[in-house]
Amino acid sequence: MACGPEGPGRTLEYYFTYDPRSLDPAFSTDVPTGEVDALLFDNLTQFDVDGRLVPGLARSWEVDPSGSRYTFHLRTNARFHDGRPVRASDVEASYLRALSPRSLGGRPWPLYPIKGARAFNKGEASGVPGLVVADDSTVVVTLEEPLNIFPKLVAMPATGIVPTPTGEEFDQSPIGSGPWRFVEWSHDDYVVLAKNPDYWGSVPLADSMRIRIIPEPLTQAAEYERGGLTVVEIPFGETRRWEERHGAELKRRPTIRDLYIAINTTRGPLSDVRVRQALNLAIDVPTLLQTVMAGRGLQAHGVIPPGITGYDSARAPFPYDPDSARRLLAAAGHASGLSLRLWRSQRPEYARIAQTVQQSLAAVGVQVEIVQRDASSARSAVRKGEADLFLTDWYADYPDPENFTYPLFYSKNAGTGGNYAFLNDPAIDSLTVRLRTTVDEAEKARLAQETDARIFALAPWIFLWHPVDLWALNPRIEGWDIPAIFNGQRWQQAHVAR
Amino acid sequence: MKRFLAVRLALLVPTLLGVLVVTFLLLYVAPGDPVQAMVGERADPETLVRLRRELHLDESLPRQFGHYVGNILKGDLGTSYITRRSIVSELRHRFPATLRLALAAMLFATTLGLAVGIYGAWRPGGWVDRFLTLGAYLGISFPVYWVGLVLILVFAVQLRWLPPSGSWGFIYLILPATTLGMRSIAVIARMTRTALQEALQSDFIRTARAKGLGEARVLLHHGLRNALLPVITVLGLDFGSYLTGSILTETIFSWPGVGRYVLSAIEKRDLPAVSGSILFLSVLFVFVNLVTDLLYAKADPRVAYD
Repeated sequence: MACGPEGPGRTLEYYFTYDPRSLDPAFSTDVPTGEVDALLFDNLTQFDVDGRLVPGLARSWEVDPSGSRYTFHLRTNARFHDGRPVRASDVEASYLRALSPRSLGGRPWPLYPIKGARAFNKGEASGVPGLVVADDSTVVVTLEEPLNIFPKLVAMPATGIVPTPTGEEFDQSPIGSGPWRFVEWSHDDYVVLAKNPDYWGSVPLADSMRIRIIPEPLTQAAEYERGGLTVVEIPFGETRRWEERHGAELKRRPTIRDLYIAINTTRGPLSDVRVRQALNLAIDVPTLLQTVMAGRGLQAHGVIPPGITGYDSARAPFPYDPDSARRLLAAAGHASGLSLRLWRSQRPEYARIAQTVQQSLAAVGVQVEIVQRDASSARSAVRKGEADLFLTDWYADYPDPENFTYPLFYSKNAGTGGNYAFLNDPAIDSLTVRLRTTVDEAEKARLAQETDARIFALAPWIFLWHPVDLWALNPRIEGWDIPAIFNGQRWQQAHVAR
Repeated sequence: MKRFLAVRLALLVPTLLGVLVVTFLLLYVAPGDPVQAMVGERADPETLVRLRRELHLDESLPRQFGHYVGNILKGDLGTSYITRRSIVSELRHRFPATLRLALAAMLFATTLGLAVGIYGAWRPGGWVDRFLTLGAYLGISFPVYWVGLVLILVFAVQLRWLPPSGSWGFIYLILPATTLGMRSIAVIARMTRTALQEALQSDFIRTARAKGLGEARVLLHHGLRNALLPVITVLGLDFGSYLTGSILTETIFSWPGVGRYVLSAIEKRDLPAVSGSILFLSVLFVFVNLVTDLLYAKADPRVAYD
């Protein structure tokens, strides 16, 4: 049972697979840091468990008609864990701190759209003119150009609000204003948090929370089965066993994530859209999904996953049609076949996916050599444009169609920015810019759908699937669900059922 | 003795310099971008260039090596690219856990290995001897990873006697120490058995028995003491490897030691953390070997240092 020293169920037991990099939001570049910072800190806005944007420290906000000036109104009853009230000046100081050139190695890009933020970050300016404290509870932010996702950017971990001044060793023993306050961190072992009884929102129902660091999936499962963890994520290879033994404890949620094979559209035959479409037609995705992932995924028929604005449920995926694939290859001048190299990292499920793809493509005359590297090395080669094909995935930073189209397909993001297909299509660039700037939600949905349709037609990826998360929840616990976005679960409602 | 120590300590310098050069070069030629690992996926190229400059990663190889060696000479192993914490403090925090695990594994392996070896030498060829020897050999044959997972399944999940992970008391030590110590049992048992059998054939043992000494005293006091030399060598080497190479065991049992820190640093291309950790572990290994040599001489005064 998930229990702690104070009594049964008083302590929730969660885990990360590796130690957070830091507990300071300014240095949040990894998922564990992002998750724990969502518990310790507040942002102006935040995501709920379903990925909806909801008020955080800002009880409301509005944007001017130009789409480039946001006014955030702060709630007046929010306090840091040491009792200090949260003021607009703390918001300004937190953003300047995250953007400071001295915050070496942080992740301040969500704040770059603010007027003057980049110059300040480079050390070329002493302040950020786009950031103005109007009064104790009002912050006015002027952007370089209109950007409709800005309220979502300030829900990201790096934009968490910290007290001014932060104090010594803030990354080791932080003070926030979130629903949980910091108690102890033993590196590579655990982080302990206690509920914040003075929280402005829902006070956590459990007393405390211990986040263990457990890297090995089998050990995680063993801890859960002994009652040492409140929840556990089920690895893809273990799906059937858990469905048989713990079916009633399982929870599912389709992720806002793409699993795909990027096709480098600048490399030889892959610059021909017919070849790229042929690669899609040659793979039996539903069968692959069943055999390799135990059916834990929804076949992709575009880049935007279900649940995100612009998702088009009516669009048909590429069918499994090897004959058409051969015809397209022949029409593109490759009747005698071609040879490609598929790069992948060492994740176990990737090995099986890559081998099956290799066999399927061989059946239509495409010989594939699989290149296996550790994740960092594989990405490094792919960013330089050295890979024909790259098996990888994309987790949304925030739930918005822009987070799929802009980083993954905008031409200026080719390589390093995330556009591993090196797609350079003026129509997509134009659609993406309009998608980012419009203040009309209906127009945004239409643009997202049109962008997705065009991307699908150009086939810069072999579209595979949107994975489905599967977690087991201790049957005695209520009030917890799988979050749609990594920092969307703040554990306020989780408690032992009476 | 003093000359021996001075020579051994002097030999440390080229050894550690070699470790420094090899570690630095290996990481330098390994593919993967440490700066990208540091700032995540969506950092813009300007930020990457700026960070490379600030971390001296845009400088020539000899200059980078110079910076690194310069800092080490000042007693500074550097600061982690990822956590921004001092590597010395990271290692100081984790080493006690590794030491605890290594000592427990050593105690387990030594106790069991010596017992099996002594019994084998005392009653060679019997079914108990064969059974124990077989068991010890199985221990060395199975991979650590497999042993660890099986122990978790049996003792933590099925029987629920022991916790599968954690490091908060004696009970948490049992499974990881058993896993780590398993492979040493066979070697210690084999060494003890052979050396003790040989010793038991000696004239001084016959004399001891002729004087009417009890079998236990003959075996343990006169026999074992003379058979211990090769066993001490094995113990020293194994203890050094426990301190430096328990990455798999620490990972399986979520043990917060140095091994996991090194693995994580390698995965994240955290160059200063990898180099600093390997240097620390190398010094440790050499030091343990030095202590082993000193103990060797203590156990047998006939061993000359020169």
